[in-house]
Amino acid sequence: MPDEIKTNNILVVDDSPTMRRMVITSLGSLRQVKSTQAGSGLEAIERLAIEPIDLMVLDLNMPDMHGMEVIDFVRSHQAYRDIPIVVLTTKGEETSRTQALAAGANRYLTKPFDPRQLADVVGSLLGRVDG
Amino acid sequence: MDKPNADNRGDFFDQFLDDYYAECDEHLVAIRRALVVLEDEVHTRAVDRTLLDNLFRSFHTLKGISGMVGLSAAEQLAHDLESYLRELREGTVILSPTGFKALVEGVQTLEAVINARRNEQPPPSIDEIAARLQAASAESATSDVESSTGSDGTNVPATTPSTRRWQAEFTPTAELSERGVNVNSVRSRLQELGPLAQAKPVVKGAGEIAFQFIVTTDVDETALAALAADGLTFQLVSVESPQRSKDTQPVPTIAPASVVRVDLDRLDELMRIIGELVISRTRLEDQVKDLKRVTPPPVWRSLQETSLSMERQLRDLRESVMRVRMVQIGEIFERMTFVVRDLARESDKKIIVQLSGGQTEIDKFLVERMMDPFMHLVRNAVSHGLESVAEREAQGKRSEGLLSLSAATAGERIVIKIADDGRGIDRNRVLARAKTAGLAQGNAEIDDDALLDLICSPGFSTRDEADRMSGRGVGMDVVKKAIEELGGRMSLATRVGEGTTFTIELPLTLAIAEAFIVTVNGQRFAVPQSAVREVLEVESASTKVLENNEIISYRGKVLPLLRLARIFEMNYEREARFHVLVLGDETNAVGLAVDRILGQREIVVRALRDPLAQSKGIAGATELGDQRVVLILDTTALRQFAVTTHH
Repeated sequence: MPDEIKTNNILVVDDSPTMRRMVITSLGSLRQVKSTQAGSGLEAIERLAIEPIDLMVLDLNMPDMHGMEVIDFVRSHQAYRDIPIVVLTTKGEETSRTQALAAGANRYLTKPFDPRQLADVVGSLLGRVDG
Repeated sequence: MDKPNADNRGDFFDQFLDDYYAECDEHLVAIRRALVVLEDEVHTRAVDRTLLDNLFRSFHTLKGISGMVGLSAAEQLAHDLESYLRELREGTVILSPTGFKALVEGVQTLEAVINARRNEQPPPSIDEIAARLQAASAESATSDVESSTGSDGTNVPATTPSTRRWQAEFTPTAELSERGVNVNSVRSRLQELGPLAQAKPVVKGAGEIAFQFIVTTDVDETALAALAADGLTFQLVSVESPQRSKDTQPVPTIAPASVVRVDLDRLDELMRIIGELVISRTRLEDQVKDLKRVTPPPVWRSLQETSLSMERQLRDLRESVMRVRMVQIGEIFERMTFVVRDLARESDKKIIVQLSGGQTEIDKFLVERMMDPFMHLVRNAVSHGLESVAEREAQGKRSEGLLSLSAATAGERIVIKIADDGRGIDRNRVLARAKTAGLAQGNAEIDDDALLDLICSPGFSTRDEADRMSGRGVGMDVVKKAIEELGGRMSLATRVGEGTTFTIELPLTLAIAEAFIVTVNGQRFAVPQSAVREVLEVESASTKVLENNEIISYRGKVLPLLRLARIFEMNYEREARFHVLVLGDETNAVGLAVDRILGQREIVVRALRDPLAQSKGIAGATELGDQRVVLILDTTALRQFAVTTHH
């Protein structure tokens, strides 16, 4: 087992369990990656409190706390502000790419997504060359 | 070695199709439920914001996941539905009857598109409905919308006197999370105390994350203190004056994170494995019995005890898995409500749907098999049973027709009733029709059972032209067959001018049952215990023969006897004493004569799928541990033998 790269923990936030599975399976092509799931914005923030998170794949339209609020929260607190965020939202979402990027998202991808592209984006944000 | 298909998105996402269908089903159920509520709100302008939000989100999710699996028609349609909901939510459009109709039909088409994919059929066209939804979205809102109805969910509704507002703070930790205490569980516990007004994350001094909730409740401090063990602290915010707010809107609940979805096939597999275990345990029990003679008593007793506790544990295991498979029948009922409203809208009928016992639980497998038969009976009740407003009023009936759907459990069975107070079934017309179809002769009065048999004959239909509303390719014969295949039965009660009730009785579950193992002429059979009322020991000398039927007296009445040997055309010799299993209820009991009763066993029911092996009177087969197949008797069919051999 090569230990030049540490295992990265990716938090996948989406209210659709099917979508979460799709994202996690897509990320399965990256080596040394594990994932944690959250079904709402509040749950996502709870995961941040409980375990170290290296990157978030975040849906926007979710019950009880919108993805934009999650971005605002993460970006405004010292301990979490450097976590890369990939917004993965359904086409036609009101929140535009510009708004999400301005709020602090690192990348903005739309669903339907290409599993390979998602893995590449996540891999490059983690500083990997294997993605 | 990894991802050979990663570039081929279609193939890659095909592995999620089962998840996709399951999640679609969940959203469609929620959507139908919301639409029923929404219909009452058409025009009232008091459209519930939470309801619209939830509907919007369901369409949004359906759009997203449909796109992922490449089902573009569903993606497009969900998009149009979502857009219309967005306009409604933002108040730029008011929910009109035309708009509502487009919404309902859009949902139906969406479901049809998804089902077409599931059944590998070509999808229906969405163009017409999509255009209507787009037109509805473009309708402008009438000018005088009241600016605010004041219930956007953030107001704190005052409820009962002496309520207090508390700020609750929860700090999540890994230890709590492992114990199942998390933001969701805390949130639902707080919701049990009273309405929640706020749930937001904050960062505390040392950088740790906490969640703050505002809850309004009348419980006292000691009850709140009990929650402290789970990392919750409370601070009093204010004491509310005892005023009453009009609508108390709970914060929408989020699905608890502790719920998992499981494919039914996997549960079937689990059930199959438990079935094998039951068989192995039976074999073990037999072997333990054989050991009795050659084993020292203390050793044997402890062996026996182990075997018995395994039996109990297996039963617990089986029951736990059964519970996982159970769903509330209310889900079907709500679907029916939706269908009824639809049918009523298309006709000049007014219908009130009454539901009861919706929380009754039934095996998911049965629910899926029963969906079409239920739908057919409900459609029949609406299109043939219930009259138009004018017709009802002319007869002095209330102008709204009543359709009631009810469910209850009775022992190991579930009883479902579909009743209407419509015109009832006209025996003479049925009989006339049956005669033309060559299904009946003579002019004898027919009772409800005979009537049911006639309308369930293949090819029988009282309408000359195929009725658009009730046709759909399922006839009463199919309904009856579906119910019988599931080990259930259907009965009918009808009175002209008063209405019709169909009663369906189904087993709660199919997989494992308690049974008597009996022998007839050296051959073993299993008789489901739920069908047996009583077991009698009878002397051959006490039987009589009446009109070619063997009878005995039983509780002051005559009990006709059924000889399995005769039904299955086996040779048999009469023994001096034999056993009788009494089947059926008080009024139509039948005695099943068997040579010996070997005992009572838990059996694993397997259907006989080979048509050559299928035979009337046999419900399936089981194995008893010695690897020999034992046939399971179909007591419903056997009782019919008794009735038909009577004449």
